[in-house]
Amino acid sequence: MTTSTKTSILILDDEPIVSKRLQPALEKMGYEVESFYDSSRAMARVLERSFDIVVTDLKMEGVDGMQFLAAVKDRSPKTEVIVITGFATMDTAKESMRKGVFDFLAKPFKLGEIQEVIRKAEAHVCGEDK
Amino acid sequence: MRRLFEQIRNLLSTGRHREHRSLSALFGHFQRVLELNNRTLAIIASMHDKLGGDYIFDLQYLRGSKQYVAGTVRELIEAFDAMAPGRHPDLLTRFRAIRSQLESELERKPVLPDIMVMPLSGVTASDMDAVGAKSARLGIIASSGAAGAPDGFAVTTSAYLLFVRENGLAEPVERYEQAWRDGAMSAAEASGKIRSLILAGAIPGRLRRALSRELEALRRRLGDRELRLAVRSSAWGEDGDLSFAGQYDSFLNVDPEDLNDAYKKVLASTFSPPAMAYRREYDYKASEVLMAVSVQAMVEARASGVVYSLSPVEPARNVMEIAGTWGLGAPLVSGAVAADRFTVSRDGEHHVLYKSVSDKPEAMRFKPGGSVHMRPVDDGLRREPCLSPGEVRLLAETAMRLERYFKKPQDMEYAFDEAGNLTVLQTRQLRIGAGGEAEGADLSDVLRRYPVLLSGEGDVAQQGVGAGPVFVAWEGRDLAAFPDGGILVARLSSPQYASILNRASGVVTDIGSPLGHMATIAREYRVPTLLNASRATMVLQEGETVTLDAEQKTVYQGLVRELKLHDFMLDRMEETYEYRLLRRMLRLVEPLNLFDPDAPNFTAQGCRTLHDIARFIHEKAVEILIDIPNATAKGEPCPGGRLALPVPLDLVVLDIGGGLDESCAGGLDGLKLRRTILPEQVRSATLRAFIDGLTRDGVWQSTPVAVDFSSFMSSMTRTFSASGAGAGRIGQNLAVISDRYLHLSLRLGYHFTMIDCYESPDGTRNSVQFRFAGGVTGATRRSRRARFLYEVLKTFDFSVTVREDLVVARAKGWMARDVGRLMRLLGVLVGYTRQLDVSMIDDAQIYAHCEAFIRIAEQAAGT
Repeated sequence: MTTSTKTSILILDDEPIVSKRLQPALEKMGYEVESFYDSSRAMARVLERSFDIVVTDLKMEGVDGMQFLAAVKDRSPKTEVIVITGFATMDTAKESMRKGVFDFLAKPFKLGEIQEVIRKAEAHVCGEDK
Repeated sequence: MRRLFEQIRNLLSTGRHREHRSLSALFGHFQRVLELNNRTLAIIASMHDKLGGDYIFDLQYLRGSKQYVAGTVRELIEAFDAMAPGRHPDLLTRFRAIRSQLESELERKPVLPDIMVMPLSGVTASDMDAVGAKSARLGIIASSGAAGAPDGFAVTTSAYLLFVRENGLAEPVERYEQAWRDGAMSAAEASGKIRSLILAGAIPGRLRRALSRELEALRRRLGDRELRLAVRSSAWGEDGDLSFAGQYDSFLNVDPEDLNDAYKKVLASTFSPPAMAYRREYDYKASEVLMAVSVQAMVEARASGVVYSLSPVEPARNVMEIAGTWGLGAPLVSGAVAADRFTVSRDGEHHVLYKSVSDKPEAMRFKPGGSVHMRPVDDGLRREPCLSPGEVRLLAETAMRLERYFKKPQDMEYAFDEAGNLTVLQTRQLRIGAGGEAEGADLSDVLRRYPVLLSGEGDVAQQGVGAGPVFVAWEGRDLAAFPDGGILVARLSSPQYASILNRASGVVTDIGSPLGHMATIAREYRVPTLLNASRATMVLQEGETVTLDAEQKTVYQGLVRELKLHDFMLDRMEETYEYRLLRRMLRLVEPLNLFDPDAPNFTAQGCRTLHDIARFIHEKAVEILIDIPNATAKGEPCPGGRLALPVPLDLVVLDIGGGLDESCAGGLDGLKLRRTILPEQVRSATLRAFIDGLTRDGVWQSTPVAVDFSSFMSSMTRTFSASGAGAGRIGQNLAVISDRYLHLSLRLGYHFTMIDCYESPDGTRNSVQFRFAGGVTGATRRSRRARFLYEVLKTFDFSVTVREDLVVARAKGWMARDVGRLMRLLGVLVGYTRQLDVSMIDDAQIYAHCEAFIRIAEQAAGT
């Protein structure tokens, strides 16, 4: 139960490099992080437990990002979702998903940028708790 | 009806205005070339920027970048072709070749240079694909001077491919491997079949000749010593995550006569059953099986062994492990003999914390006639330590240096010869497991205990963690005093720190841009670098030990061991497949090989990268414009004229859009009709700044310096081809300007100066290039002048390259944020150096002139 005080984050991206790089950096900041490359596994996991923050890509095989997002929000409305997607698909992503998404980041992004967005999302989650 | 009328009108007017329109069309095309050229450079810079480790990128990004950069260069070629239709058909051929190489990299078919062997001393990090990781690291060690490395050469991956091709091995190898994968054949059987095919193969003639040539060169370098060789595997893709340690064969004490056989035996070991299984496990493609071989001159070792720069058993203890034995090290590496062991502190003095001396009854020695065997050790030596305290310390220092250089703990094999010389035989990354990581999960708690000196500010040029004593590079400080492993702290990032970056653990500057030259060099050496941290020079104290974590943009007081350890265990972006792929792609995109427009390779066929193509097009497009005053003698209208100046510089200005006042436009019957332009009519701010520098008091020497007869004669023997412009243009000084662009081609005092300056709309992509060549005097004085230019341009933060008497200086990004200042400075420089080489009678003159010049220039640049 040592992790219960930490803010929990789920990362979903079908290219492993994203979470491989992101997870240790976020852990260093004191977050509890779980990574998934496969959207159906991530889907199963969010049905088991809720996360404070979810970071997900949009274009993936199997369950697509939209469905995944809907499931996350359905299961746990308080969860903040951050969408990371390729630069080319950014506008459509923003267009169709304006509602319910905390922020969007175009890939490739700097580590510092996503850390900043996550920090803001965390403040938001904590704020709502109070 | 109306359309028809317009068509007729156009038809009728064509004759009258054709030439005028062709010229404005030409300017339009040139503007387009400029724009696309700048876009190409911006894309390349942005791709390069991803190497800093601060970005997270995936394959999708790499595919997209390839599309974008290739598409832009393609457009650039088309825009240039509109300026000079059909003149350089080879450009498109070269472009297609480079693009298809990029595509094959993305399809996991590495592009290899067509070369058979390379001397180890000439190998650099970028030759990794050609020579394999093992040889590349030895080459880096040799060229960086970090430690003694064996002399020898690498037989390349291309040589392997040639061997496979000429012996028709690809098909049968594939067949046997497939049979093994299908379960139709045992691994041992398939391996045996493939190996005998390789051993029966003939070494291709080209490779055989290259091998004997390199052997001969090696013999010459070694002098009298009898040449004995170590022939080792150095497979492609062995770096980073995947290590094939111990899966391939090495051969020791090989007679040079038997090199060809030993080479084939190493190739055959590519298909040992464990290596085959390993590749299957890690999903290697057949196109990724590439065996390079390293051939090294062997020294009969007195003692050899292994160093782990960080104990993998107890990484948190911050100690290193050294093992050694008498004779050659192979039996120690394989665990066949007892070894002396030393546990040594990683810090400062490298104290020995633990020592255990074993009984060493046998040692591996050279066998007369070739190969090696175990021999008894003299009774007097069996229980003696094989390393002296001095040697232990030397090993510790060397291992720490290599660790700093390669940014990860090292597993290093070494040998001492009878004379006590240390040679590093091989070094590779030591994997630190998660064993001591109990506290790792709570690193964030641990970090809270360390005082933070700087946090949250700055731009990351290179990711990573570095610790060491602070060295504040205040103005004029001697950089030779920089301590190995120090943290460089400076007000500004500047290329002048390039020479010490490979010894630095980290860099923090108050001001600087991740797009500048220093950032590029920091990335090359992977030195954690934080720029624009604003208060670094005020907060960080000289000599104080600090730990920089670029990832968090934080500097901690003291040595934060936990952070360093965490960094060691991390899979860094630099060690991922995607990162290495980006590096390989950039090799086809970024390096500039077309340096000197007069060099024989400055042709369309000589373009080896996309950058080369952009460079070539830029140069040739400018040449077309420079030609206009000659080509338009027929009286074609042309916006421009001669600039009236208080100094005798006959400068023709050609405006391609927005560079001159509107009062200069139109109605001009060609440049030959001496239209005069007044300095007030110049709208181009950069040209105005240049003129301001050039015409300052004391800059333009009013009395021509007497040219002595021998100087003059030596100039006569030099061709004027050093101009970069043809003979037809000698004597005509020309400025091509627009609102954002300035190109100057000047011939003053028998030397040729080219200045190319671009000011980007938001100021972040500015660039200034300065090129200087030729001269009236002999080689020595010209080289003194080159030295002078090098010194002063460096002082003003240009990145400078000198080749003989050709000087090329560049400033871009942050360094070129104030183009007006730089152009004023270059104005002073052009005036000052007009006939400088004539007065360069001795070396002392270089520095006397430097001081005088810097005084004038600082005054000018300041205003």
